[in-house]
Parts: sequence; structure tokens; C-alpha cells
Amino acid sequence: MLYSKNLLTYILVLPLIGSFCLVFVPSSNRLLLKSIALNFSCWTFILSLFLWLFFDKSIGTFQFVNKFMWIPLLNINFTIGVDGISLFFILLTTLLIPICLLASWNSIQINLKLFLLSFLIMEFFLIGVFCILDLFLFYIFFESVLIPMFLIIGIWGSRERKIRAAYFFFLYTLLGSVLMLLAILYIYYQVGTTDYEVLLTFSFSEFEQKIMWLAFFASFATKIPMVPVHLWLPEAHVEAPTAGSVILAGVLLKLGTYGFIRFSFPLFPEGCFYFAPLVYAISSVGIVYTSFTAIRQTDFKRIIAYTSVAHMNLVMLGLFSFNNIGLEGAILQSLSHGFVASALFLIIGVVYERYHTRMVKYYGGLVHTMPLYVIIFLFFTMSNIGLPGTGSFVGEFLILTGSFKVNTTVTFIGATGMIIGGCYSLWLYNRIAYGNLKTQYFQKYLDLNKREFLMFLPLILGTLVMGLYPEVFLNSIHFSVNLLVELMYF
Amino acid sequence: MTLETLLFKEINIFPELFLGISIVYLTLHSTFISINKHYILIQNSLVSLGVLILLLVCYLLLNNQLDLLNVTNFNNSIVNDYFSFSTKLIICFLSLSCLLMIQQYLADQKLNHFEYVILLLFSILGLFILISSNDLLTAYLAIELQSLSFYVLAAFKKNSTFSIESGIKYFILGSFSSCLFLLGSSLLYGLTGTINFEDFKDLFLWFFQSNTVLTTLNFDVTLILMAMMFILISLFFKLAIAPFHVWAPDVYEGSPSASTFFFSVVPKLSIFVLLFRLFYFSFYSFFDYWRYFVVIFLVFTVIVGSFGGLEQRKLKSLLVYSSISHMGYSLIAFTTGTFEGIQILFSYLIIYSFSGLCVWSIFMLTRLKNNYKNKQNKDLTDLVLLGKSNKMLAIFFTTVLFSIAGFPPMIGFIVKITVFLSAIEASMYFVALLSILGSVIATFYYIRIVKILFFEKLLIGKLYYPINTSKSILVVLLFFLFLFLFINPTLLFLFSYKLTLISLPM
Repeated sequence: MLYSKNLLTYILVLPLIGSFCLVFVPSSNRLLLKSIALNFSCWTFILSLFLWLFFDKSIGTFQFVNKFMWIPLLNINFTIGVDGISLFFILLTTLLIPICLLASWNSIQINLKLFLLSFLIMEFFLIGVFCILDLFLFYIFFESVLIPMFLIIGIWGSRERKIRAAYFFFLYTLLGSVLMLLAILYIYYQVGTTDYEVLLTFSFSEFEQKIMWLAFFASFATKIPMVPVHLWLPEAHVEAPTAGSVILAGVLLKLGTYGFIRFSFPLFPEGCFYFAPLVYAISSVGIVYTSFTAIRQTDFKRIIAYTSVAHMNLVMLGLFSFNNIGLEGAILQSLSHGFVASALFLIIGVVYERYHTRMVKYYGGLVHTMPLYVIIFLFFTMSNIGLPGTGSFVGEFLILTGSFKVNTTVTFIGATGMIIGGCYSLWLYNRIAYGNLKTQYFQKYLDLNKREFLMFLPLILGTLVMGLYPEVFLNSIHFSVNLLVELMYF
Repeated sequence: MTLETLLFKEINIFPELFLGISIVYLTLHSTFISINKHYILIQNSLVSLGVLILLLVCYLLLNNQLDLLNVTNFNNSIVNDYFSFSTKLIICFLSLSCLLMIQQYLADQKLNHFEYVILLLFSILGLFILISSNDLLTAYLAIELQSLSFYVLAAFKKNSTFSIESGIKYFILGSFSSCLFLLGSSLLYGLTGTINFEDFKDLFLWFFQSNTVLTTLNFDVTLILMAMMFILISLFFKLAIAPFHVWAPDVYEGSPSASTFFFSVVPKLSIFVLLFRLFYFSFYSFFDYWRYFVVIFLVFTVIVGSFGGLEQRKLKSLLVYSSISHMGYSLIAFTTGTFEGIQILFSYLIIYSFSGLCVWSIFMLTRLKNNYKNKQNKDLTDLVLLGKSNKMLAIFFTTVLFSIAGFPPMIGFIVKITVFLSAIEASMYFVALLSILGSVIATFYYIRIVKILFFEKLLIGKLYYPINTSKSILVVLLFFLFLFLFINPTLLFLFSYKLTLISLPM
């Protein structure tokens, strides 16, 4: 344990060092730029695997804790640490960033250096969000992610509508999170510090908890996204480049669930219990509504975007069941959704890179010419539905079991959402993979190359392991979740 | 009084004396040498001389650093303490970089008459005296010295109707507000018989503490309040606070960009120093009375600043509205009435001035390559190619814009957050909510510039002249200052803490 004490710090700063190195490489040397960025992100991933290895699974408290002074005058310090909840989110982030870089290996033509820089800086911010143990700095990291993502959508987006999408993304999220900022300031004013472990010992009055829960909810619900404020997500997904969509679906949506687990639950349990029916209502509406919306979309990316809204709302049901099973299921489903949704966006990216269209009607019969592609597509379609043997099944099963204990009606609606999920996923798969080849639109076909296969491989393995032996992941989560539930009910 | 103590006392106004004497010398120098044919380039040398003078003033300021001393001169009408020392130093640095940045612009726009630099130096002298003024008359004279130079600077471009118009507008409204200041001062003098800040403080403190004397003195509190309001409103005119902001967009847009640069970056800090001296030192006993007026003004200001900028298509008028909204945020910290509030006010103002300096430097450095060089008011769409032709400058611009908008990983966010924190500590929840929403709306027009810089795929647009080495070094230094202040904001907070700790009499 002793020599691995600073491991988390290294993981945090490695992408920053990488981006610093990138600054000094001339932008004409494209291969060197790409390989530096890929190397740094891969090393970050390998280091984070070591983090998992050295992680003590038998305790639920924070490990690898490191503390740096930042503004001693305001009593705000840079404290980092991981527990079972945040560990896998960090792993997910560090895994997805190299995959994103691989996915955009050839497709990014303009401003390559800025692209790689924004990805590495975004990796720094995302790891920071998941490992920071200070509410104020959490807000800083949480918001900072917007800037690189805003640039990614705006600069490397595909159509003219991208500007509108970038604005949507930026302003929706900002408007939600300033309310959280006010709540954070109020907490700081009340407690005198924003250190997470100190905040856990402080209990707010019931009224304060309700108000502040709402303020936090405004921010996290925009990120998840829940129904009235989900409008930015399809826009942003459709307009973003492939890598941007992958990171958006894979990690950025999880910031909302992570925020709920980390801050709303232990700090405002009264607010959580009080507003749980609201969350149930919004999520069940969200699941059914977005699933039906997904059926009638014509854009490949839009369909997947709406399915991620449905899945993330299912995660919310699991979270607000307030028991071990539901919470663990929610975390596992977040992870599995991170794998599956990003893989589906990568699948879109593969054909988009070849044909530059995302309209479903132009595709058909790909099974005749791209067998490998179609097999991988089938695998991820099945995991999107929640086929036994994939991670989504375990996650959804745990979520539904957990919420069945609390509210049967909502569980029923959530399960309906899964059935509709089967409809749109299979229908989409049918339209893309089967039928006749539409040779009037496309003449040349090319199956996956080595690079593309390599970026799918870790996602397939992860999904399979999560489905066949979920204990690999769950045994690190158990104790932290247990501690969280105890904190809520104490 | 021995000779030593006399010298010691007078040495405190040595920077101002030096500045005044050098201005006189510069006037003589340029009047008699500029008629000589051998010295055609008098303007360039004059800017360098101005920079040199300001550097020497910096040295003189640093030389008599006052840590705990509080020295008054001229029958208590000028005060020098750590507070005035540090604000003078900041103003000196700001105007120095301002002079360096506008040098090329002056040559381009054919504004290279020697009067320009001399007027700038005059206004800096006025700001210095304003900072250390300790009675109403000195403050009035300093304001007049500063504003009269500003009127001329606004109207300096003689062949442009916009410039003349803005000069006249500025003159009429500025002199109107000065009249209000004078009216308030004379009312106060008539009521209390004194114009000195310290006397005011003693008088009002004593007046409020002992209610028994109240009848014998025959003070009319409403009249005093009215006089205070006159002074407050006249100073708000200078700061362009919302109901009195109407002159600002016109004047800032019409006057030559070099003057606008100076107007919007440098004088705000010193006027806030005067506001602080008056309302936290002299009239602090009336805090409960004047606070509500200021709160109403600041809410107006934040709303006007956030919504007014939305439809602006010119960079200059957008920056004006941005500065209006920032003055609103500063007033939030001003109305808290606490020690922390003042500390936060000054850290906010320092960061505001620095980010203003950065934005205006970029504005000055992007010199359009077109036929009609007289076009000075850049449209936002003129920046379309900046992201492609000078990527580093565009990235720097983006960073500064996010910082001004108060977006997280920048220093602007941290100071803005402390402002809201001070509002919450003073239980102004509604004001905090309103201004935070205002700042979200204001973000919209900042990110529109980012959109124009990076998102447009146009290849048609206006090109820029390259930037020379010395200016790029200055810009890079400012950039690193920004990054450094985020990594270690303690430095800023400690500075403002020391600044307020020493000056606060409470």
C-alpha cells in the first residue's frame, strides 16, 4: 500500500503532462501528435488498472487519499481519494479516452492538436470529478468539462446545426449547475468548509435539505438527463463527432448519477426520501417517452441518444430505491451503459466514417458485406436490450429487484421500458444489417480494420465479464455502498 | 517640527510630484522640439518617455512602501497608506501596459499628436490624487483633473464625427455628475462645517453613539442622506452603474479605441477607492441607509449588463455591457458591509482590471489588414479568421473570455464565487440568485465570441497584421499570470486581505 499512495495523483496529472508535451510538437507532425496523446492516455489506463489492483476491497472508506493546500485562506483544499463507487468511473474514463482517440485516428482533419489537447484536458477534468473529495472543487471540475466538450461539438461537429447543439449543451448544463453553485455556497457558509468528509458529519435541517436537494437535482438531472431538460442530449449527440459522442454517452452522463450517489444521498437524505416520488414519476415518464421517441427516429445517432436517456432514467430508479441491491445495480448499470452506449456510438462512427451519412434509410443488408461489423453490432444490440450474459442484464435485474422492494408500479413501468427497448434496438438492427444491399447508395464496402476491431475488443470483453461474473466488479462496490446506505439511514 | 520630519512627511507625495513635474517637462519638450524638423518621430519617443516616467513612478512608489503607516499631508487633505500605495501601484502597472499596447494604434489612426500621451499622464495624475484624497474638495479636484483629460481623449479624433459626439456627450454628462458631487459636498459642508473625511467619521460616529446631543446639534439626517445620495449618484455616473449608464455605450463606442481601453480598464479601481473611503470610512454610521439604495442600483446594473450585451454586434459595445455587469457584481461585494466583503471587492476589481487589460490588448493587437484603416470599431464577425490565422491568440482570447464570464477553471470564477459568497454571508439570497442567473445570461454573449473564433468554417474574412515580439511577450506574460493565479489564488487573496486590513478603521 505504501508505495502506491501517490498512484491516484499520478493518474490525475498524467493527462496534463501529456497535454503539456503536445503543446511543443509542431501541428504538422500529425502522427507524432496522435501517438503522444494515445501513449499518455494508455499509460493512464494502465496506471488506473494498478489502482484497481491495489484497491482494498474489504473497506468502504476512501483510499489513496492525498491532500494539497489550495486556498488555505478560504479553507478549500485539494483532497483526492477513491472508494468503491468512484473507482470504476475512473476506470471507465481512462478506458474510453484511448478508444476515443483511436476512433478519431483518421477522421479528424482540421485542428488536430487542439482536438487532442481538449481530449487530454477533458480526461484530467473527468478523473478530477470522480476522485475529488471537496464539494467546491467538485463543482469546478464538473463545470470545466463543459469547455472542452463545447469546443469538441462546435469545432469538429459535422453540420451547421452543431452551433445550436453546442449552445444547447452549454447553456442547459450551466443553468442547471448555477443553482447547485448557490447551494454549495450556502453549505460553505453554514459549515465553513467544503471538505467532503467534514460535510458528512454535518446534518442540515429538514427544510435546508429539501431546498438544497432541489438545487443539486437541477444540476444533476440536466446531466443525466431527465425528461423536461433532456432536449440538449439528442442535439449534442447528433452533432458531435464520434469521439465526442462516445465520451458524452460514456462518461459525461454518469457525472449526474455519480453526483447523486456522492453528494445528494449522504448530505441530504431527508430531501432524497421526500422527493423520491418526484424522481420516480419523472424517470418512469422518461423511460417510456424516450423509448417511444427512439422508435420513430430516422437518424442512427438520435436513436442511440434516446436509448441512453431511457437507460439512464432506469439507473435513476435503481438509485432511488435506497437499498444495497438497487444502488449496486445502478452503479453496475451505469458502467455497463458506459460500455454499451459508447460501443454503439463507435459502431455508428465506423459507418459514418465510410459513407458520411447517419440516415438509417440509406443502410441495409450490411451482413452480406461486413460480417465482422454486423456481429459486433448484434452483440451490442443484445446487450443494449439486456440479454442475459451481458452486463446490462445484471444491472437491470439488480435495479428492478431493488426498486421492486420499494415501488411495484414504477418497477413495472421500468420493465416495460426494457421491452420497448427490445423493439427499437431489434428494429434498428434489422434495418441496418438485414435486407437487401442498397447498392444504389453505396458501392464500396469495407469490413472493420485492425484499429477498429481493437477499439471494440476491450468493450466486448468488459461487457462479457460484467455479465458472466459480475462479482469481479461488485466485490469492490459492496462495502462502499453499504457505508452509503448506513449513512443515509443512520 | 524638525526638518527631518517635514521631509519625511512630504516624501510621501513624491510620486505625484514627480509625475506632475515630468508632465510639465514633457509639455515643454514636445512643444519646443516638435516644431524642429529633425524630430518628426516625437510621438513615438513620447510614448517611450511616458512608459519610462510611469516605471520611475512605480519605483518611487515601491521606494516609500508604507506597511503600517498612515501619513497625511497638506492639512489632512491627502492621505497615504498601504491601501493607496498598492492601488496606485496597480494603476501604474495597468496604465503602463495600456500605453505600450496603444502605441501602434495611435500611429495607425494618425492620432500621434504629443497631447495624447500628456493627457493620459494628466489623467493618471488625477487618479493618483483621487486615490489618496482625504477631503471632498481634493476628491472633487482630482475627479475633475481626470475627467477633463478624459473628455479630450474621447474627442481626440478630430476628423471623426463619432469621436466628437462622444466627447461632447461625455463632457455634458460628466460635468453634470460633477455638479452633483459638488452639490452634495456643499450640502455636507453647510450641515456639518467640515469637508474632511476623518472629521466626518468622528462626527457621525459620535452623533450616533450619543443620542442626548442630538437635539442640541440640530442635524437634519434626511438632508445628510440627500447629500450622500448626490455624491453616490455622481460617482455611479463615473462607474456607469445602471440607471446612469446610458452615456457609456455611446461614449465608449464613439471615442478612439485607445481612449476606450483606458476608460474601461484604469479608472474604475480608483473611483472604488474613493467610494470606499467615503462610505466605509466617513459615512459608515449611515450604512443601513445607503445600503438599500446601492442594492437597488446593483440589481438594475446586473440585469442591464446581462441583457444589454445580448444583441450587440460590435466588440466594443459588448465589452461596455460586460464592464457594466461587472461593476454590478463589484457593488454586491461593496454592499455587504463586512470586512470580507471589502477584501473580496478589491480582489474582484484587480482581476476585473487585469482581464479587461487582456481583452483590450487583444482588441488592440488584432489590427485589420484592409484599405480603410480608419475603421476602428470592429464587428464581432471581423474575428472570424483569428482562430485560423493566429491560433494561440485565439486560445488566449477564449481563456480570458471564459474567465470574464466567470467560468470554472479560471481565476474569474473564483473571484466571482467569493462575491456571491459574500452576498450569501450578508443574507442577500435574492440578490445572489438574481445575479448568478444574470451571469448565466451574460455567458451567452461571451461564448458567442468563442463561436465566432472557432466554429465558423468560413475562409473569407479579414486578415490581421502579425504581432511584434515585445507585445507578444507582454501578452504571454498576462496569459501566464492568469494561469498562475488560478493555480495559486491565495496570493491574490492575501494581497487584498493585507490591503483592507490596514486601511479599515472599524
